[in-house]
Parts: sequence; C-alpha cells; structure tokens
Amino acid sequence: MKTWRLVTCLVVLGFLLGVLGLAAGPSGWRSPWEAAGDLFSGDEVVARLRAPRVTLAAILGASLALAGSLMQVLLRNDLADPYVLGLSGGASLGAVTSLALWPGLPPGPAAAAGAAGAAVVVRGVARGAHDPARLLLAGVAVGSLLASATGLVLVLAPADRVLRSATFWLFGGLGTPLWPALGIPAVLLAGCVGWGLVRAERLDRLTLGDDLAAALGVDVPGLRREALVVAVLLTACAVAVGGLVGFVGLVAPHVGRQLAGAPHRGLIPVAVGIGALLVVVADTVARTAFAPREVPVGLLTAAVGGPFFLWLLQRGRR
Amino acid sequence: MTPVAPAALTMNRSVATRPVIEAGSLAVGRGGRAVLEGVDLAVMAGERLGIVGRNGSGKTTLLRVLAGLDRPLAGEVRWGGGRLPRGPSRPSTLGVLFQGEVPSHFTVRELVTLGLGLDGPPTAADERLVDAAIARFGLAHLVGRACATLSGGEQQRAALARALVASPGALLLDEPTTHLDPVHRAALLGELDRLRGSVAVVLATHDLECAATCDRVALLGAGRIAALGPPTEALVPDVLAGALGVRVRRIHDPAGGPPLLRVLGLVGPPAGAEKVPVA
Repeated sequence: MKTWRLVTCLVVLGFLLGVLGLAAGPSGWRSPWEAAGDLFSGDEVVARLRAPRVTLAAILGASLALAGSLMQVLLRNDLADPYVLGLSGGASLGAVTSLALWPGLPPGPAAAAGAAGAAVVVRGVARGAHDPARLLLAGVAVGSLLASATGLVLVLAPADRVLRSATFWLFGGLGTPLWPALGIPAVLLAGCVGWGLVRAERLDRLTLGDDLAAALGVDVPGLRREALVVAVLLTACAVAVGGLVGFVGLVAPHVGRQLAGAPHRGLIPVAVGIGALLVVVADTVARTAFAPREVPVGLLTAAVGGPFFLWLLQRGRR
Repeated sequence: MTPVAPAALTMNRSVATRPVIEAGSLAVGRGGRAVLEGVDLAVMAGERLGIVGRNGSGKTTLLRVLAGLDRPLAGEVRWGGGRLPRGPSRPSTLGVLFQGEVPSHFTVRELVTLGLGLDGPPTAADERLVDAAIARFGLAHLVGRACATLSGGEQQRAALARALVASPGALLLDEPTTHLDPVHRAALLGELDRLRGSVAVVLATHDLECAATCDRVALLGAGRIAALGPPTEALVPDVLAGALGVRVRRIHDPAGGPPLLRVLGLVGPPAGAEKVPVA
C-alpha cells in the first residue's frame, strides 16, 4: 500500500519533471503546457530532440539504480555501486580505445563490451560470484589495472580531440539519441525490473547472508549468478548510452530504502524511480545551465549526489 | 502459500522414537580434510541434543552438515526420513540460528516474515503465522523497529521468532549462549525449555552448563563422537577427561537442578613435567 502511494508520487513527480525537461533546452525555454502540446504535434525540437533525450535520461538513471541495488546485495556492502567490480575501468578502457582507433564511431558499444569483459575477468579472478569479499577485492584490483591502461591509451593516443571527447564521455553524457536507440535499454530495463520483482523475496533473504538464505530455502549460487548477470547487463547498457554517470547507482538505493524500507518488492520500484528522477533533473540542468555549452551529466550527479550522501550519513548517525 | 511440512508436523506429535534428523557413518570436514569421522547420530522428535567439544573439534562443521549447508565428505544425512526440501518448505522442516547474524535493515516484522521462506508476498494466513510468532516471543511492541536498532537480547528473540515462525520440526543453534549476559542466557534457555517435547533442538556449545540442560549430549573428541548419552553419563569427570582433556568436578545442586560442572584444569602432568630428569 505504502509502496503504491510512493510509486504514484514518483510517477507524478517524474511526469512533471519530464515536462520541465522538455520545456527547457539550449534553444530556448517554452512554457510547460506549450512543450507538452509540441510533444504530441511532432515538433522538431521537443518531439525529436528533447523527448528521446529526457526518456533516455530516465532509463539510464533507473538502470543504474537497479544495478546499484543488486550490487549492494551481492557484495553485502552499502558502498557498492554499479561500477564497483572493475566495470568503470573496463568501460573507460573500451571507450577510449574506441575513440583512439575509430574516432568516427560512437564509443558506447566498446564501453559496454569493456564493462562486461571486466566483469567476466573479475568473476574469474574471484572464482565465482559467491564470496563478496573476494569479488570486491578482485574488482578493485582489476579496476585499477584497467584505469592505468586507460591512462596509457589517453597519453599515447595520437589526436588531441581524443582527450576532449574521452573526458566528456568519462563524466557521462547522453548526446542526441534518436527514438530507435532507446529500444534496447528500455526493453532490458523492463525485463530486469520484472526479474527483480519476481526474485524480490529471495533477494531479501540473500541480504541476511548466504548461509541463512540457504537455510531459508534460497538456491544461493543460482540467485547470485542471476543477480550478477542482471547488474552487469544493466551497467554495460547504461555506460553504452550515457558513459560513466556516478553516484546515481549508489545514492538511489539508499534513498529508496529510507522511503520504502529494505524489502525489495517496495525498494526496487522506488529506487528505480528515484534514479530516473535524479538523472532527468541532472540532465536538464546539464543541457541548460551553461547553454549553449553542455556540461557532462555525471559531473552534476556527482555534485548533487555527494553532498546528499553526506547528509544521509549524518542523518543515519543520529 | 502456507509452508507446512506434513512430515515435520506429524513427527512433532508422534512418539519420541522417530528421528527428525539421522546421520549415518558421516565424515565432515573443511577443504576435503575430515575433522570428524564415523558419526552416527539420530535426533529424536522433541529432544534437546547438545554437541560439546573444544574449539576446532568440528561442532560447527557438524552442525552445518546437519543444517544441509555443507555436504558431508562421506555418509549421509536424512531429514524426516528423506532429503531436505528446497524452497518454502525448507524453513518448515528445519530452523537455524547462527552466531553473529548480521543485524539488518529489515524491521522485526519483515525479518520474521522472511523466516517463512516465501517466494512472493505473504497471504493473510502467512500474516497470521507471523503475528503468532511475534506475540509468542514478546516482540509486539518492536514490530516496526529496524533490527539493527534493537538490543542484543531483542535481536536474539527476533532471530528465534524468525527461526520458528514456520513451525519447523527441528531447530539448530550454533553457540547460542556465547556473548550473552546471564539475564539473556537464562531467557534463551527459558525459550528453549518451552520448545521441549515439540521441537527437536540441536545446539553446539562449549558451555558445559548449557549442555547439562540437554536430554542427550554428544561429546566430540579425537575426530569422532567420544561419548553420546544423557548428561548424567556423558558429562561426568571420567568421560570429560577422556574427550575434552579437562579435569571437572560435579557439584550437586541441592535445589534439584542439573549438577554444576566446575573445570579444574587440564588432564595430565603439568607442562614441562616430562622434562624432569629421572636420575
């Protein structure tokens, strides 16, 4: 009951902020009702440029929030985020390599491949997904190795513009997506949220620890494997469309837990909604605050998320 | 879905000769190395069995195998005459309470609900089971509190309610009295007394006083069960000296309680005695 009220609030808020996102842009501010009308009349700017971008921002935030929630369960660590298992390192290396070798192509697919590859390596080094401490250590080790490799590519890359576009990509940016580009991320997100709701009670028991979860009837290795695959897929897809957008995947699950409580049946939809709202707002500001220049959206989520997280920690301490 | 294991429930009501857990020629260990071998053990419905041994004697390892968490190196374990079920009927067959369960973000009510092992939202019947367990362990005033904010004793009561909400036929506890002050220790033993006759309790402990409250005690020593019997036979100075290597004096309780066991020291000559020259 409480969850439904929260989700309704989030949807309404998301709709209002989405319309605000449509109304604002570097080419000028329109009144929200005018923007809503333009959306349905097929206006070039609102319907073809801003609407897909706002929708993609929501999908990106939601994906990161769900991936972060799952990583926090898998690693039994409140500080885990979607990138923690070396995924950011893998994505960065993939992206800068792609930018250096094929400057004409978008770095997204290579970044996704890099993130997924890093996850496979980390899982191999940790000998499976069952030991949180080993996964985390392997993630840190592999991540730092990949980060240094990224630096090496940036230093050795021939063209100057690699550095600039790489910097932009590393701090997250949504670019100018077309509607068809939203298909895969949207379907993946919907499937993963569905998986999360079906597995909600098992994920709850997994948070109690592997032994207790097994004693309470959970197939622990199977659930861990599934959760890792889901989290990595979501993260890889998110880096492919938006680069590295920090803090959303860390903060959204915490806010979700404060609002909806720890059980995943309520936590997943609420955290996903919070993540979507956060990135929609951050991206609207990123597009408009310094117009005509655009700021990487990851800079804004970190700038807002950091202090917010500190406030949350202070509050939690009582 | 209401988790009811018919086998477990009928066992509760049957005569105390039906085993809830049976272990035959069991070998248990870690990393392929056996810690305990040749374990034959039958836990009867409603009885309280203590597993006593030194640190490293294999108490926890044996308990984990009995809980179905680890596979034995050899032999087999049967629960109610068969395999341990997966899914929601598992917690209604076997309840477990481990040392140092991490206090969670869940509220007491949510934690107790998780004890049912459901794979979906609870039904009205499930909610009634949860209410009953909460009332039984005096947690009604704490239902909305996060487990992490409870005191140690309250956490243990919540964990007991979580372990017993599905009415399992057996409850396994690992070192339940360690780190408990005398008040909470007495409270826990009181709770366990209320289970006597209905739920088989297996507790691994190195607390001899706690072991003395059991119906039977299995003493682990030298890689096997060195003694198995009622405390009057197993917890006596000779047997304890053989199995644990400690000298113990039994002190009679004039009020009729179980005898107190006072550990006097280690068996054998004092350290360094063998170096004394003969000449």
